[in-house]
Amino acid sequence: MIARKTLRGLAAWLALAYTVGVVSPVEGYLKFGTRIGDRIVSLRWNRIPVRYVVGDLGVVGVSADQLQGAVDRAFRTWEALETSDIRFEFAGVTSAAAVQGDGVSTLGFTNRPDLDRVLGQTSFFIDTRSGEILEADIFFNSAFQWSVAPGGEPDRFDLESVALHEIGHLLGLGHSAIGETELRPEGGRRVLAAGAVMFPIAFTAGNISARELKPDDMAGASDLYPNGALRGRTGSMSGRVTKNGGAVFGAHVIAFNLQTAALVAGFSVESDGGFTVGSLDPGVYIVRVEPIDDASVESFFSDAARVDVDFLVSYYERLVIVPGGGGTDRLEVKVTGK
Amino acid sequence: MRRCVWLVAVALFVVIGAGVRRAGATMVVPASLDELAAGAVAIFHGRVADVQPRWEPGRRRIESFVAIEVVDYLKGNLGPLVVIRVPGGELGPYRSIVVGAPTLTPGDEVILFVGANGPSYPYVLGLDQGVFRVVRTNARQPSMVLPPPVASRTNAPGRVVRGDPQRRPPTLEAFVSQVRALVEQVAGGARAVGASR
Repeated sequence: MIARKTLRGLAAWLALAYTVGVVSPVEGYLKFGTRIGDRIVSLRWNRIPVRYVVGDLGVVGVSADQLQGAVDRAFRTWEALETSDIRFEFAGVTSAAAVQGDGVSTLGFTNRPDLDRVLGQTSFFIDTRSGEILEADIFFNSAFQWSVAPGGEPDRFDLESVALHEIGHLLGLGHSAIGETELRPEGGRRVLAAGAVMFPIAFTAGNISARELKPDDMAGASDLYPNGALRGRTGSMSGRVTKNGGAVFGAHVIAFNLQTAALVAGFSVESDGGFTVGSLDPGVYIVRVEPIDDASVESFFSDAARVDVDFLVSYYERLVIVPGGGGTDRLEVKVTGK
Repeated sequence: MRRCVWLVAVALFVVIGAGVRRAGATMVVPASLDELAAGAVAIFHGRVADVQPRWEPGRRRIESFVAIEVVDYLKGNLGPLVVIRVPGGELGPYRSIVVGAPTLTPGDEVILFVGANGPSYPYVLGLDQGVFRVVRTNARQPSMVLPPPVASRTNAPGRVVRGDPQRRPPTLEAFVSQVRALVEQVAGGARAVGASR
């Protein structure tokens, strides 16, 4: 670690910039987990390649073939990560509705007008004894208007973008939140910016920018399914977040790589406020901690009532060096209440 | 040299800020508190009494039926005990996890915004967006509501900035008052529209 007292000045500047709109907020990836005995195990596929089938129903603007094409492109995007070993296999087209417990992962359109704010949804079927994902079904809500046009279409949601997000869940990734929203003068709320495909509520009809994975998405997938040959190249950062000496649960810990400008982050989810951010490129980082006080915490944590959102943004007082193939010393980031 | 490092750092943060493109399509369309209040068939404060996971008829998926003892209604009235349907649940050695669906367990104290279609079980609006948790830290502190709500009718328009000192979990009393006011505004607006036709 590099000691830098003047980093406080930089932190203050960044905090100001953040507030006035120069810098977009960031958050990090989460992995789904299940408790087995006294430990938490990450949900993941053990049988790779992951086989999937695609429904044979199209909707207005998107034929069944185009659905298959968009889904296939989204799978290939995840598969193209050189730091991850995840692989998929197309197993055919089906006219059957998704059924949990049949061992078949199905993606397709379903008409759910009751879920009038849900574009797509992933459901897992897991073995609670091992944490193995046995099956994952994804539906795209045909109550919305969809598009697969290369450049997108106004007022139609981009199917490939939503598929990329949902397939991230299929891998075992939870939500990230590299993005921000605004309240509109005419009422309602909308997303201004998103820097992670796994951002839970990012959306604007016609936008296609979420067809590309961001560093935070890549780190999450690489953490779950690391490419053995490349594993030694990345490192991790760990530590704890405290307020008045006590542990802070649910804080976002964001690592900003000074060389590559990549943003990757994690959350303090351990009982002592501990966090670990893995799959980081070696380098020098600035560490920022912020509360999830602008969105539904339910979207990130099942035990949402424990999440502390009552603190101010804070920066670790030193620059942090992440080594390749290793981890940092344990950092302590102190935050203060609002 | 040191000064140079800071300048580079600041520049990179600015580049990142500018480089983040607008929007990114994902799972849900965000809802503000007033949109939830307008869209809800009922809004109530209560405590989860029971959760029963079952296979849906046809055995296509697992869903959970959550019974909530209602303490107070802020909109509508579905009776003293409301049973809502939430996707996902655990049966035997298998668990169905539906991303974005709320996880409710007996004893949870919540304020729920629910919708309903015809003669069916109510459901939480916007998946998890219609769930607000009532958190009691100790007897001397008032109950707080999590997450802090974002409402376009009572907050100034503009960016929602994380760590804003003004956005703190409200007390239960303040939150209930805010929701009641929004419900009244929505009802008043509907009456005004009806009268003009």
